[in-house]
Amino acid sequence: MLDDIAFWVGYLTNGKHLTWYASFQFTIFAALMGGALAVVFGLTGATLKNSRFLPFRLVGSFYSAIVRGVPDVLFFLFFPLAFEQAVEWIVATQVCSPEAIAAQTAPWPPCREANWFLGTFEYLILASVSLGLVYGAFATNVIHGAMRSVPAGQLEAARAYGMSARQVLWHIHIRQMWVYALPGLSNVWMLIIKATSLLSLLQIADIVLWADRLGAPNFLPAVGLVHDDWRWRYYLVLFVFYILVTWLSERAFGAIMRRAGRGILSEAHG
Amino acid sequence: MKKTMLAAAAVLALATPAFAQESVRIATEGAYAPWNFLNDAGEPAGFEIDLGNAICETAGLTCEWILNDWDSIIPNLLAGNYDLIMAGMSITEERLATIDFTQDYFPPDPSKFVAAPGSDLDFSALSGARIGVQSGTIQAAYAEENLSADNTIVSFATADQNMADLMAGNIDTILADGSYLEQVVTASNGAIEFFGEDILVGGGVGAGLRKDDAELKAKIDDALTALKADGTVDRLIAQWFDGQGPYYAE
Amino acid sequence: MQGFLDDLAIMAPAVLFNIYFAAASIPIGFVLAVFLALGKASSNPLLNRLSRGFIYAFRGSPLFIQFFMFYSLALSLNMSVWRPLGISGFVLHPLFMGPLVLMLNTGAYTAEIFYGALRAVPRGAVEAARAYGMSRSQQFRRIIWPNLIRLAWPAYTNEVVFLFHATAIVYFALPVVGAQRDLMSTAKNLFERDFNAFLHFPVAALYFLLVSLVIFFLFGLVYQRLMRHLPARPGLRYAPKWFR
Repeated sequence: MLDDIAFWVGYLTNGKHLTWYASFQFTIFAALMGGALAVVFGLTGATLKNSRFLPFRLVGSFYSAIVRGVPDVLFFLFFPLAFEQAVEWIVATQVCSPEAIAAQTAPWPPCREANWFLGTFEYLILASVSLGLVYGAFATNVIHGAMRSVPAGQLEAARAYGMSARQVLWHIHIRQMWVYALPGLSNVWMLIIKATSLLSLLQIADIVLWADRLGAPNFLPAVGLVHDDWRWRYYLVLFVFYILVTWLSERAFGAIMRRAGRGILSEAHG
Repeated sequence: MKKTMLAAAAVLALATPAFAQESVRIATEGAYAPWNFLNDAGEPAGFEIDLGNAICETAGLTCEWILNDWDSIIPNLLAGNYDLIMAGMSITEERLATIDFTQDYFPPDPSKFVAAPGSDLDFSALSGARIGVQSGTIQAAYAEENLSADNTIVSFATADQNMADLMAGNIDTILADGSYLEQVVTASNGAIEFFGEDILVGGGVGAGLRKDDAELKAKIDDALTALKADGTVDRLIAQWFDGQGPYYAE
Repeated sequence: MQGFLDDLAIMAPAVLFNIYFAAASIPIGFVLAVFLALGKASSNPLLNRLSRGFIYAFRGSPLFIQFFMFYSLALSLNMSVWRPLGISGFVLHPLFMGPLVLMLNTGAYTAEIFYGALRAVPRGAVEAARAYGMSRSQQFRRIIWPNLIRLAWPAYTNEVVFLFHATAIVYFALPVVGAQRDLMSTAKNLFERDFNAFLHFPVAALYFLLVSLVIFFLFGLVYQRLMRHLPARPGLRYAPKWFR
């Protein structure tokens, strides 16, 4: 019995499992960074949509409509690839000599000097930006709606106090907007958490990849413990992990909303 | 606007060390024991990892291992995310159209069928079978071309998933590299057996690299020639493939 | 331009797989959702807990993981359950596993929408029905359901569009049988051949966008019919916004 426990403790703390546990950092990083960027892109998109200048309004609406009209996984794969190629192209215009371009036989990049190595860290950043862009489109909608929910009287009062347009925007409009936006932003956050399961598609050795590798059947003692197909057990762990994160996030957002709602008319609690 | 963009790009190019090539990055799949796998410490190990490290030592290169899924391992080489592929990749005409290979470091390896004992399939003229392959392999291409008319070809992302589905009875047989199957069949205690004739597709196994990387190719080829001459390659083959060969020395 | 047209032609059969996955899972998911929503609103503690738990678990975890988990779970039951029943090849086929998981997933999301709508059904209407002496099943069929579906339809339309988008990850998680590939898998395959990200992915995106628009149009027609009693019929606009 004790031997069994010792064996399983040993197995679950071998280097392979420790690497799996450590890989949760990628998921958490991508979620937090993606969430922060989604708010930034959401604010930008909402400001564009609210702009008096027609082209800006069109850009804002176009961004939020197109990104929401295609699957998140498509954008998630496309954006890092497109960004990499765009950067390489811009760099190529600077560093490639005509001879180097002529000597290039591969279809991409234009010349060898313009090649950009992407490792886990770069992919993680690009994945977070992707998440930010996709869910920023949803946040744009939420924030745009919330900006309109701020009572006009509040803005009029601020103007009557002699605040400039910029002051009204930052000190009154955006500050009060959060209360109305929080329920929607909480939904966006839940979406981002779930989308972090896609990191392995960008060759990041994340929790999903390690669950697959750890659970895959093994026949050779040289490789490690010989076992059958255990994948569903490992995926069950991830399944429960995501449900727990969702539950914790709900609690956290509930607390934030209660706090942010203090002193604001109760209609704000949606 | 254009000027600032170019200036920004120039700064980026100077400031990002990622554009400068320092060490040789070698990509492997890490799910193809005993060729390459992740050991209990969670690090790449196997025949190709030992061989790759020996090559780098001989050629005086600093090397770094990178994990990459099999199905995108060639595109990501072309994209420049690493310089070399060592992932049990056979040298074939189709692959030579897009990438280049060093000389082989494992002699041509016959592909074989495995199935549960007592399989009633006629392996000389397969029909009505569910054949599992790993997508993007030479066996997948072979099955697609020769066996797909009368059989169902099921492609999996990794060899392990393929094997799991065979063990669970979702597919009738697997067509894969003999060198990979050999030890699995031995270790399975009779759960699976070899069937049918060997199929010869593809040349030996070599390291894949970009076509414009002649310099690196020359270095690795020289190192491989030296390692074959002093018996290191054969020793590693013996070590990782249960002393079964095939060997380079006559 | 030729490449663009070629891609359009290559991906035309692929989009049928996405449409199949959505079409096979949506009707059953719809029925499942009605029962789950009623279960969540039920006062029976067992029914209530089960429905709540199901909805929470499927909405709180990624579809990607659900695919992996259910496939490997079904695989491990193959020898003991599916094989003896003679349905092995059928159960583990992506054309069955895909819609199965999608159905469970959309069932949970749709149930949450229906549950919200159920709570928004005007109390007065239900009380009036009770005063007329309607039985519980009559109340549901004549009063609650017509109100519920009208309230839920716009949100449900969005859910259907997002379910259609979710079909893009089926073949990232399940094995590919023969040449059966969906849009995303085809686009990725084409990309891995010539590395032209700016061609293949936008073409796939175009197909997704087109089908999304068709879904909005068709569901808009249904909505107009549902709302035909109103003097000014509200329409559905292309505005995917419901949160999965």
